[in-house]
Parts: sequence; C-alpha cells; structure tokens
Amino acid sequence: MNTFNKLLLALTVMLALNAQAQHEPATPASVAAKVALRGDANGVRIPEMRVVRRNDILMVQADLANMGNTDRMVFYRFRWLDTVGNQVGDGESWKQMSLLGQGQQSVKSVAPSSVVTDFRLELTVESR
Amino acid sequence: MPRLISSTLLLCATLGLAACETTRLSSPVVRLDRQVNYGDAKSVELVTNEFGSTDLQMIAEKMVGSLLETGIFQGRPTVTISTVKNKTSEYIDTTNVMNSIQTTLVKSGKVRFVRSIAEMQQGVDELQRQNQSGMYKQSSSAKIGKMTAAKYTLEGELTSIVKQSATTKDVFYKFTLKMIDVEEGSIEWQDEKEIRKTSKR
Repeated sequence: MNTFNKLLLALTVMLALNAQAQHEPATPASVAAKVALRGDANGVRIPEMRVVRRNDILMVQADLANMGNTDRMVFYRFRWLDTVGNQVGDGESWKQMSLLGQGQQSVKSVAPSSVVTDFRLELTVESR
Repeated sequence: MPRLISSTLLLCATLGLAACETTRLSSPVVRLDRQVNYGDAKSVELVTNEFGSTDLQMIAEKMVGSLLETGIFQGRPTVTISTVKNKTSEYIDTTNVMNSIQTTLVKSGKVRFVRSIAEMQQGVDELQRQNQSGMYKQSSSAKIGKMTAAKYTLEGELTSIVKQSATTKDVFYKFTLKMIDVEEGSIEWQDEKEIRKTSKR
C-alpha cells in the first residue's frame, strides 16, 4: 500500500468516525447499541433500558437523563424489527419530550405484534 | 495508481461543471408556483396547538400498547367499536382515532373485530342482496343469522381544557378509552392519554 492509498484510507476512516453519532460516555455500550442517535447527545445519557416480553409482546422502557443544567428537547420513537432485522409495521410517530435540566424521564413503548424480536430507539436531542 | 485517481478526479470535475452549465431538469410532477412538498407523515406536527396528526397517532399508539400489554386478548376475542364522544370545543373526527386503533389491533392478530353499529347497515344490505335478490346460488350465498357477536365493546371520550392569556395558550387533551364486557357490563380495561400543548405569541 503506497502513501497515497494509506492517506485515502485514513481519511475514509476519519470521515466514518465523524459521521457516527456521539453517545454520552455514561451511556452503557449495550444500551447504545439499541439507540439510533442522530447527531450529538447534547448531554443526554441513557443509563438504563429495560426489555421484557409479556403476553408474547415486547415491551421496552428507557430512562433518559439530562446531565446539563439547561433543558433539552428530545425527539424519539421506537422502530420495531423482526428476526431478520426488517421493520415491522409503518413505524411509530415521532414524539417530542422536554427534558428538564438535571432531570430524568422514562420513555416506554409496546411492540405492535408478536413477530417483533428487536428494536431501536431513534433519538434526536436539541439544546433549547 | 495516483495518475488514474487524478484522471478520475479531473473527469468528475469536468462532468460536474458541465452539469452546472446546463438547465436544471424538470421533475415529473404537476405543481403551481407555490412550494408544495411531501413530508414525513410521522413527524411531530407543531403548526398550531389544535388537535393534530401527532395527537391522533400518539393516542392510538398508547391505547394499542396498553391493550396488548394487558393480555386481555387471550383467545382472540371479538371486539366492536361503540361511540367515541368528542367533548372538546373543536371539530375532531374521533372515528379517525378509533380507525387507527382498530387497524393496529387487527394487524397484531391478537383480536377479531366485528362490524360496529355504523358499519352494520352495509352488512345487512349485502346479506339481503345475496339471500333475497334471487341472483345467487344458495350454496354460495352467506347465510343470515351467522354473524359473530362482540364479546367486548370499545367506548371512548375526548375532552379538553383550554387556558389562554394575552401571550400564552395552553390546551390539555384527555382521551379515555374503556373496554366493556357486553354480557356482564363490566369494564375490563381502561386507559387514558393526556396531552399538553402550549403555544406562545
């Protein structure tokens, strides 16, 4: 590999890393893997996410904590996936939630059918 | 190798410039001068603080989630939709909310919906056409008196509280849905969805 190709590879890796959303370090890696974050977390971390299958239906609850002193506007929705990773249904509507400074809130959702085996929490955080 | 990449970059730049020089191609759409675009139907709608698409979707999602969570639909019972009262000062088509709830529940495969009162006349007309017009084979026509009755009925209500000052308008919506056992008359499930919308001038 010559110098030019090495430079090109390094540039590609750098761009890919920049394009990746930045989770708060306090969000555990296992939780972060289930969160599709658009842009920066802006000081919002997800310390815990609980998943339970009750009556053959998947239920998810995630705690969102604002580590900053100013309020954050959070937009979120759950995307439900089947065993092969295909989306189930048309998808949920986006929801808006105001997260007060140093505050914590839970978001919860229930899968629309029994075929759901996996999910992603789509999240966008805006500072106010 | 670097020479090849340089040539490719040069070609791309030339093509890019050529594209800029030509007139922009038209899209296969019919539109007036006014800017109209398709948007995401699932976006948060914040145009005004009156009842909107996001409120409808949030109510339907909450009610369906709550119903599926309880496990009340063990054995795929039959359900029908009764009245949904709109007690707000706005004109709101509450049938829309119930349609969204019904669609998601039917797609879940956990429950069977039977004709509501509003849909019954069409069913009666079709049965009469098949049985009384004399145009159909007896063996293929649907028999009268074979409909399955609903075990549960869904009854809802939408209310609102509006507070307004010179600069702020606060609207609080509450949607209540009950599932009632038709035979026993007992409320087997009930849930609420509260929505607060505040706007400032």
